[in-house]
Amino acid sequence: MDVVAHTLLKDILQFSTQGFDMATVSPALDTHGHTDDHSHAHHEQSFIAKYVFSLDHKIIGIQFLMTTLIMLMVGGALALAVRWQLAFPWENMPVVGQLFGLFRSEGGQISPEFYTMLFTMHASVMIFLVIIPILAGAFGNFLIPLQIGTDDMAFPALNMLSYWFMWPAIVCFGCSFFVAGGTAGPGNGWTSYPLLSDLPQAAPGSGAPQTFWLLGLTLVGISSMMGSVNYLTTIINMRAPGMTLFRMPLTIWSMFITAILQAFALPVLTAAGFMLLFDRLNSILPTDIHSVFFIPANIIVNNAAPTVGGGQPLLWQHLFWFYSHPAVYIMLLPAMGMVSDMLACMSRKPVFGYKPMVYSMAAIAGLGFIVWGHHMFTSGMNPALGMTFMTSTMMIALPSAIKVFNWIGTIWGGDLKFNAVMLNCSGFVAMFIVGGLSGIFMAAVPVDIYFHDTYFIVAHFHYILFGTTLFGVFAAIQFWFPKMFGREMNDTVQKWHFALSFIGFNCTFFPMHLLGIAGMPRRYADPYLHGYLEHLLPMNRFITVSAIVMGFAQFLLLGNFFYSIFRGKKVGRNPWNANGLEWTAPSPPGHGNFDIAPVVYRGPYEYSSPEAEAIGQDYILQTVPHVKGVPKLAKH
Amino acid sequence: MSLTPSLKLLTLAGLLSLVTAISGCTDSAFESSFVYSQGTLSLMREARDGTKENLGVKRLLDDRFGNPQHLKAWAEMPIDFGGALTTVVEIKELPRGRKVIKLTVEEGQTLPAKAANLKFVTGGFAGAGLHVEEWNSETGEATVTASESLTISASDICAVDGGTVLTAGRMLYMRHCSHCHGTSGDGNGPTARYMTPKPRDYRNGVFKFKSTNDMSKVSRNDLSRIVKYGIPGTYMPSFLLLKDEDHHAIIEYVRFLALRGEYERKLVAELSSDFSENAYKSRINASEKKEDIQKELVEFLAVDLKESAKTLGADLAEIWAAADTEEAAIVPSVARIPDTPESRRRGRELFLSKTLNCADCHGIDGAGNGPQTIAFEKNPLKADELYNEPGLHDDWDNLNQPRNLQLGMYRGGRRPIDLFSRIYGGIKGSRMPSFKTTPHEDIWHIVNYVLSIPFETDPGATGIAPSVAPESLVPPAAVTVPAAN
Amino acid sequence: MKKFWALFFFFWPTVAIIVCAIAPSRGWWFPGAPMSRTGIQIDGLFYLILIIVTITFVGTQYVLGYALWRGATKDPREKAFFSHGSHKLEIIWTIVPSFILVFISLSQLDVLAEIRVISKFPEKSTKVAEVKARQFEWRIRYPKPGTELTTEENPGDLYFVNELHVPTGKPVIVNLRTQDVQHAFFSPQLRVKQDAVPGLVIPIWFDVLEVGTYDLVCAELCGWGHYKMKARIVAQSQSSVDKYLTQLTADQNADGTKSEAAKSGE
Repeated sequence: MDVVAHTLLKDILQFSTQGFDMATVSPALDTHGHTDDHSHAHHEQSFIAKYVFSLDHKIIGIQFLMTTLIMLMVGGALALAVRWQLAFPWENMPVVGQLFGLFRSEGGQISPEFYTMLFTMHASVMIFLVIIPILAGAFGNFLIPLQIGTDDMAFPALNMLSYWFMWPAIVCFGCSFFVAGGTAGPGNGWTSYPLLSDLPQAAPGSGAPQTFWLLGLTLVGISSMMGSVNYLTTIINMRAPGMTLFRMPLTIWSMFITAILQAFALPVLTAAGFMLLFDRLNSILPTDIHSVFFIPANIIVNNAAPTVGGGQPLLWQHLFWFYSHPAVYIMLLPAMGMVSDMLACMSRKPVFGYKPMVYSMAAIAGLGFIVWGHHMFTSGMNPALGMTFMTSTMMIALPSAIKVFNWIGTIWGGDLKFNAVMLNCSGFVAMFIVGGLSGIFMAAVPVDIYFHDTYFIVAHFHYILFGTTLFGVFAAIQFWFPKMFGREMNDTVQKWHFALSFIGFNCTFFPMHLLGIAGMPRRYADPYLHGYLEHLLPMNRFITVSAIVMGFAQFLLLGNFFYSIFRGKKVGRNPWNANGLEWTAPSPPGHGNFDIAPVVYRGPYEYSSPEAEAIGQDYILQTVPHVKGVPKLAKH
Repeated sequence: MSLTPSLKLLTLAGLLSLVTAISGCTDSAFESSFVYSQGTLSLMREARDGTKENLGVKRLLDDRFGNPQHLKAWAEMPIDFGGALTTVVEIKELPRGRKVIKLTVEEGQTLPAKAANLKFVTGGFAGAGLHVEEWNSETGEATVTASESLTISASDICAVDGGTVLTAGRMLYMRHCSHCHGTSGDGNGPTARYMTPKPRDYRNGVFKFKSTNDMSKVSRNDLSRIVKYGIPGTYMPSFLLLKDEDHHAIIEYVRFLALRGEYERKLVAELSSDFSENAYKSRINASEKKEDIQKELVEFLAVDLKESAKTLGADLAEIWAAADTEEAAIVPSVARIPDTPESRRRGRELFLSKTLNCADCHGIDGAGNGPQTIAFEKNPLKADELYNEPGLHDDWDNLNQPRNLQLGMYRGGRRPIDLFSRIYGGIKGSRMPSFKTTPHEDIWHIVNYVLSIPFETDPGATGIAPSVAPESLVPPAAVTVPAAN
Repeated sequence: MKKFWALFFFFWPTVAIIVCAIAPSRGWWFPGAPMSRTGIQIDGLFYLILIIVTITFVGTQYVLGYALWRGATKDPREKAFFSHGSHKLEIIWTIVPSFILVFISLSQLDVLAEIRVISKFPEKSTKVAEVKARQFEWRIRYPKPGTELTTEENPGDLYFVNELHVPTGKPVIVNLRTQDVQHAFFSPQLRVKQDAVPGLVIPIWFDVLEVGTYDLVCAELCGWGHYKMKARIVAQSQSSVDKYLTQLTADQNADGTKSEAAKSGE
């Protein structure tokens, strides 16, 4: 740790003394077409220093990307097991049942507590180990220094630590699968409501697995926190000369706002997690000393009664959602920013309403802090609060709507490039509309009383988290792949991947709205026990088959990704003819990113502008100074 | 662009075949197997698996009860397996290898209107089934296609549509019960390990909450009450809303598992003293010859075990059948004594009295904290050994503390008759003894007192002094704490 | 191929609309008509939102599809339309949705107050029973006939499990609580849902319009057996409820003597 601390200290010192050194460096002009790889290789580094414990933001970003892609497959496999049970309840699981010898006397039948673990871990892996780190960790890391025109993050060592804190988290989550004897990890939902998660005897997996889960959560939080501190500092202090706030690409804006959200919301979750851990002390340490933040008096769980009480389980819900609702935007805003970038590039048009886009993101983030109560409309919270939260939740639909209209405005009349990036971005917009609109049902309290905890909500948040964020990520992977590896991904395979994913996704999740309307509660291992749900079995089978198609379609992405790293077509600095600063750097950028430190003269979205036309292109890099003879625009 | 078209096709084909492979694997429903008890597994290999000439415990058990996919044993056992038992009267040959089998039922029973299959219980074709092509319910004639190996003869017993109830029971059991109670009814399903108290292990044939007297088995009615109303204070939930025929099927299947387990246990009991692995080792140590033991075992298997396998079945059938008769039921000789303060006071006196000594376990104010709950109990299975943790244990070796009567939670039901039965018949498998010699009036007094405990404003303060001095309620000196090693 | 992808984005919302349109006839819709007064109001609000949402959905998806179609059919020599946005449009699509959203919000308030605000509960409602959820069943406690339901248990209270009998045609209050972890009282046909929170007693009210049996399930994860909490609400006339309670009293006081057994028919 000494080395790390030392490096960290050095970072800070360097940072405070150097400040804006690079302001004096002359700008790069059009650097399109250059393919030189390592312009800034100062000194040879060992493999470990270069690729494993790297301080380079690009390597760390790629590390995040690879890790999260693997975790995506893990989370997907867990989801398919959940789907198996819903389509063929209690029937012996193929392959897995025999392979791992689960429940041998039952021949591979999923047991109900294993089912609770499956959906809990599916959510935990997808949220904490895939979506948050793939957006903020992978793309945030990779793009922030490149897009604002600096050589690295403000605190490279902190950055490296933020990645390496992911691994203890992964180990903790992994442990929680196995510590209780192998068949039940934490089975309390990713929301971990007490008392289920509070009393070790309350549910299978509420003992040691839940403790490991909470530790994992805390570690993920530490990782995110280190990242967000770093992003904030970098974005505020290290922008290239001329890169004013309103010349930043929307990706940077979204990362900036996300980092603020994380920095302010995470402490609450961490505190809540520690409160829960203190409540659970007697399950961790051989002691009877524990707190009772969430344990009320006079309850009997699993034939055992806590001797003291006086806490309030609703407190957890407030604290948890105070983080986890902003977290939804943490899982969404960066994708929104990146998609805005990509849509502009693929439409060869400026983003429609750049400032409204920024303001609406800021509004989403601001309002995001005062809507958490809409997760608790049926919880017995004071109805006056319910009314307040309903109104604030309705209001948060407004900036979302503005963004949708602006994206469509961006596409409108553009010179569209129909590649997989464009398709995934359009898919993103289309899915976000569905997810946003279904959210309105949930925001209206009386209607939510019916829909709360049914499959309607499952459909809704998958449309947001998968349909929206992941389609954005699919696009972003392909879009920035050339910058990461100097090669491009196969577009045809990506189109197949998009088509299969999109169809599979909609066939999986759209019918879930109908399941919700039919009143099917979520987290049921066997809904067909209830007469009014029996007729939904065929639909659930259809959903499962669609989910399997969608799941296996992801192998196309993975295959294409890894194939293209080694065999993809080599490309130059700016394969998409985009405007951002990252495209002035070599592909892949060497250590220090830019061979010539960039100076910014314009906004990032000047596609097809008169100035661009004056130099005979439909794009104009941010580093190009004012073109003579073209009237200057009032803004941007 | 760099991927060749053939590679693309290959990827697509692979994807599709995977999808079809996964979604095609749907007919493996509920395949499972019974496990053998620890007792069986601790026997010598020959006793367990049998020799060439003689059947071992495993085969004897499987021959009689089958496996989950092929359930047997309905004929001899008092289980409503579904379908009617018939006797073959005559067999008529038809052309092209078809046969008409004429069947009769015992007097007072009727043949079913529809029939899809025959299952043979005795004779050369025992255990196998035949598909019925045509069925005449008036004459009792079934038309079947005979295979070469069809060796049925007149007076064979076969079941028409045999086992439908048991099979339905098994499917329901796998869906609702097995993840706790285990496929074999050993109370050791995957969910079971997280529960206090543990789910019932049916294989002892012992059920706690029953309305039959202390020597009898559980009645169908008792099982039905448990399935319907659950057991408050445990993880056994109420399955009230299943259909009546589902309740019936589950109960019959539970009885089947209990009978199977008990049969296995009794077989093992015949062998374990002389032919378990441990017994074998100690006999070798006592310088008996290996060959002698083997020979003795073979003889035992050939004669004694074979014989007892037959009689055991009949014995079990008899006692289980008897549980549903009127003689077995607990019927108080007097109606409930009116629930008056005097009656409760009398009940409390009895509760604290030296003769009944309820307070020894349940505590002087019924909080389930009597001296026995902190004393170290003798382990009945291991002579001269105490359990590691203080408190009372049940027959399954789990800690099973006496009920806290202040909670108003009555596992076996809260009707006065339920409490009466608990006291009169005791709770089988637990340390709650039977108080069948106590006058029924006194039991009613205790019932009245026990039912009033949750509403006592000042627990134990009913205005009378305990009939025993409080000092005598501290752990008796005889109780010893296990030595440090 | 460009046109194909543009059509792709026309095609899928069309399919989605068709699926939704045929859903009620295929049984993929509400589990029957709402059977309580608040349920009817909830359904009304649902359909109000559904209409607004459907119009928005169709509008935005098809505009997106059309924007793509324009891009796909554009003359390749034609340059992209250069614009940084339109102040006027931004104002329009800020103000119009905000009016709609405020309208939706306001339309919900009355029903919400009626369902949840205790001081607005119907005046003539009777407290019929306490429902105590536990892992994994619903324990019902009726007050001793002729007495009021209280939070504390009283001697002579009647107990049952997984079956709640309520009178039809009048508002009834149920005291909801839990013995262990969090559960939620959810009756899909009555459109009633309320969490049972450890340590709290939460009164809920509803009125059942028609005689019948309605599902009662758990809608908040309560452990491995969450799905097992199958119960029903039996709605019947007041006299039938009284009869049921009389029978329950007799059953609960059964002392097992012959005469008693003959009476209760066991």
